[in-house]
Amino acid sequence: MKTIEEINQKIKDGDAVVVTAGEMTRIVQENGAGEAAKEVDVVTTGTFGAMCSSGAFFNFGHSDPPIKMSRTYLNGVEAYSGMAAVDAYLGAAQPHRNPDIGLDYGGAHLLEDLVRGKEVELVAEAFGTDCYPRTDVHTFISLESLNQAIMVNPRNCYQNYAVATNSTEETLYTYLGTLLPQMGNVSYSSAGELSPLLNDPYFQTIGVGTRIFLCGGQGYIMGEGTQHSTEGERKNGVPTGSAGTLMLQGDLKKMDSDYLRGATMPKYGPTLYVGAGIPIPILNEEIAQSTGISDQDITCKIYDYGVPRRSRPVIRETNYQELRTGKIEINGREVPTSALSSFKKALEIAEELKNWIEKGDFLLTNPVKKIPSEGCTVAPLMIKRPSIMVKDIKIKPVITVMAEEAISGVARKMVDNNINHLPVVDHSGRLMGIVTSWDIAHAVAKGCKKLTEVMTKKVIVALEDDPVEVIARRIDKNEISGVPIVDRENLVKGMITAEDISRLMCSQNNKEGDSQ
Amino acid sequence: MKAWLKFSPRIVSKPVISDLIKDYDVTFNILRADITPKGGKMLIEISGSEAEEGIKYMEKEGIQLNPIKKVVKKDEDKCMDCGECYSLCPVEAITVDEKWNVELDDQKCIGCGFCTSSCPTKAIKIAY
Ligand code: SF4
Ligand code: SF4
Repeated sequence: MKTIEEINQKIKDGDAVVVTAGEMTRIVQENGAGEAAKEVDVVTTGTFGAMCSSGAFFNFGHSDPPIKMSRTYLNGVEAYSGMAAVDAYLGAAQPHRNPDIGLDYGGAHLLEDLVRGKEVELVAEAFGTDCYPRTDVHTFISLESLNQAIMVNPRNCYQNYAVATNSTEETLYTYLGTLLPQMGNVSYSSAGELSPLLNDPYFQTIGVGTRIFLCGGQGYIMGEGTQHSTEGERKNGVPTGSAGTLMLQGDLKKMDSDYLRGATMPKYGPTLYVGAGIPIPILNEEIAQSTGISDQDITCKIYDYGVPRRSRPVIRETNYQELRTGKIEINGREVPTSALSSFKKALEIAEELKNWIEKGDFLLTNPVKKIPSEGCTVAPLMIKRPSIMVKDIKIKPVITVMAEEAISGVARKMVDNNINHLPVVDHSGRLMGIVTSWDIAHAVAKGCKKLTEVMTKKVIVALEDDPVEVIARRIDKNEISGVPIVDRENLVKGMITAEDISRLMCSQNNKEGDSQ
Repeated sequence: MKAWLKFSPRIVSKPVISDLIKDYDVTFNILRADITPKGGKMLIEISGSEAEEGIKYMEKEGIQLNPIKKVVKKDEDKCMDCGECYSLCPVEAITVDEKWNVELDDQKCIGCGFCTSSCPTKAIKIAY
């Protein structure tokens, strides 16, 4: 048994034994946790990953005459200034106000620019008061000229995280990166055995007030992060899913762009790569055992992100040792795996923190308060107006055509029924393709005789139990006007068009209007 | 050798490439092609005992040939070695070494652009 005070004395004397979490894993494997606890004083962890839930508070100082900012933009990215006159909070995931720039430059990029010492444009608007008469500001600021620039990240350092793949036919762009169709790749995000909260899975040493490495400077843990949860499944003592989180703060002025990067997940949005490292004092054998966790012992689950719902199907379980080999087997096929967070940087961070402690520049802290290790669950957002499912909406009786029907007959069917698309089916009513009036015009112009030559074979469909919102997004994304509805057997049940959806929205709004 | 071939509209319809493969001992691989009636360009890889002669033949037929050394370029300052691009590369041109550095092999790259559009820091650019 050791105390933090004893370890700090050793650090001051230059006698502390500090190892990274990766080194500790090998030590525990070789010598056992009992020996490791005697030998090692501090284990350093590290992670460098995309953490959207990050940002910073700024204080700009008062102008003359003064202003009470109500809308604030930094390099065109809006910061929230509904606080005192010249304070603002800039969120990392906020896109640029100009839709043409949009996701390519957001809050995260602005934070990196500031840390790199660049000047940024400050534009602010106000309504003007007796004490704050100025109504606009347009100037340039830099990190140095700000009174305070304090990073405050509501949710960082997820204990573990979901792994993603995509079973659909189209490429998906998600917060876990680009997911190729037909499970073409697998993307994961945790730093595994180096990850801070996997080395102290019950928050025995990491608590409120713990001093940490944050983006190259010293930061502090403010408490548990938002969505902190403790009740999920565990294996080998560690959660198999996201579980615990931390709220962090640190002085942006002391940070280093090596450990803080603005990034954009393609077609998803800006996000900040945050480098965090937490020291774990080895107070006893149990803590030594926890920090001995290896990539192989950390289970995680591969989910199908092709299902855009809150509960996505699990494809299989795996662990970080397997993921780190760069390939994994799914349904008998070898699939390449990518990390979204940098293991190299995570290692650098653990090494850097180790360095600081060895040099005596960084002392450990006793937590002011424990972070809850039980009793926390995350409730979903209940939408009072439930999602309307495809099967709930009234659709016109389905008109289909058979693959062998003549083009002229198909054209007549379209005109008679005043419709622009027709699903093409086989004899048992299973979907084979779709044909539009445009295809028919094309067929006539080119002299095609067969429907199968002009129809589109790869059809985007709606399932009966898909929520209508999901279909609206699908129609919009593919720039089409409607999709056939099929059941699990691929039997055609109807068509749903953009028009049907807008009609539905109108009637919903009317209904609400009536009841008010 | 890898090269961009530029076709003028006049030669798009001529069977230059098929004659090349018929008449010369070359291995010819089309990595990317973008050809319209208004002309176009093609990224190719050519090798074999008569590659030199084959290149001369194409030039004689009016194809402009720009050899390239680099298909993609990775900005090492921007790259964070996350590895996101690794699983997207269809030809295994991106590798991760034992120190977790992410590396790009230009010899293997076919310039598909998957990695360039997906890199979170836009560290990879296709070099034309
Ligand atoms: S995705 Fe970009 S930042 Fe990540 S390793 Fe590849 S090139 Fe580097
Ligand atoms: S451009 Fe395509 S082929 Fe070249 S490295 Fe990137 S993903 Fe691989």
